[in-house]
Amino acid sequence: MKASLRPMAPSITRREALGGAAAALVLASCGGDDPPPGGGPKPGSGAALLGSLLALEHAVVAAYAACEEVLHDDALRNTRAIAQQERRHAARLQQLIRDLGGDPPSGRSAEEYARTFPRLRTGRDALRFAEDLEQRQVRAYLEALAELPDLGLRSATAEIAAEEGEHLAAVRVLAGLPAAEGPFVTGAL
Amino acid sequence: MAAGSDAELLEDLLAVEERLISAYEAALRREAIDPKLGDTLRDHENAHVEGLLRALRDSGGTRSPRAKVPTPELTAALRDRAAFARYALALEADAVAAYRLIVAQISSPSLRQALGSIMACEAAHEVALRESLGARPLVD
Repeated sequence: MKASLRPMAPSITRREALGGAAAALVLASCGGDDPPPGGGPKPGSGAALLGSLLALEHAVVAAYAACEEVLHDDALRNTRAIAQQERRHAARLQQLIRDLGGDPPSGRSAEEYARTFPRLRTGRDALRFAEDLEQRQVRAYLEALAELPDLGLRSATAEIAAEEGEHLAAVRVLAGLPAAEGPFVTGAL
Repeated sequence: MAAGSDAELLEDLLAVEERLISAYEAALRREAIDPKLGDTLRDHENAHVEGLLRALRDSGGTRSPRAKVPTPELTAALRDRAAFARYALALEADAVAAYRLIVAQISSPSLRQALGSIMACEAAHEVALRESLGARPLVD
């Protein structure tokens, strides 16, 4: 297997990291275009970027609730465990934003999110949707890892990114796919 | 782990990857892992090493030779597939922890992002090994 570790081309913008065809639905619903959290954080502190990650986490938590309606047994148990970790990520991000003097963005209502999600008829639909969301989360966290100015914030982001990597792999396994698509997750190289 | 230059940090990651490769190669030789899974995981680790070596050269570093000696823990883990999967799971968890620690300290933003993609792959390996053990849930 041929691989390299060349620095990634700056081809993934934050919007693209959160966006794309299906994720445009999520972006529209999660507040990715909202202004940065108001209040006191200094420009360049990373609070705005953390706010974008938090908005995505809120949307993902809502998305898993939608997925749970069509999932059963093992897939349901696993996605519930994943959703629980996503809620912890959201709480962590909220605290980090507050520590920077910011005001964490709140999520939207379940109904508002639901209007923007694709219709999930089967467990397979749900797992495909979940895989797409997890890929976008991994990309978003890895981009944040590149952009955040502070070592402590990068450490926190790296920890969450690793868990998102697990989530992506778990959803793929539940869908009958190999855990990792390749040696560099999200095709980052 | 103290903060160091990017080259020093990359060397630490290379040591982690080489430990994983040694483990998977030994397990494949001793049939202590499903061959398809073992091949995949070893191939991923080899690709990581190749990338890390390139990044090390780009950052002006050189690879210091290191001795490769099987640990007693690895030897014991090779007795059966479940024992090896548990051993490899612990190694992969250590690898994720090392990447998590190191990636934040790397000075090059683009390299941080690239190393993060390897970290996510190691996290996926944990899931694959849990799956091989029949463990649930798949996330820790």
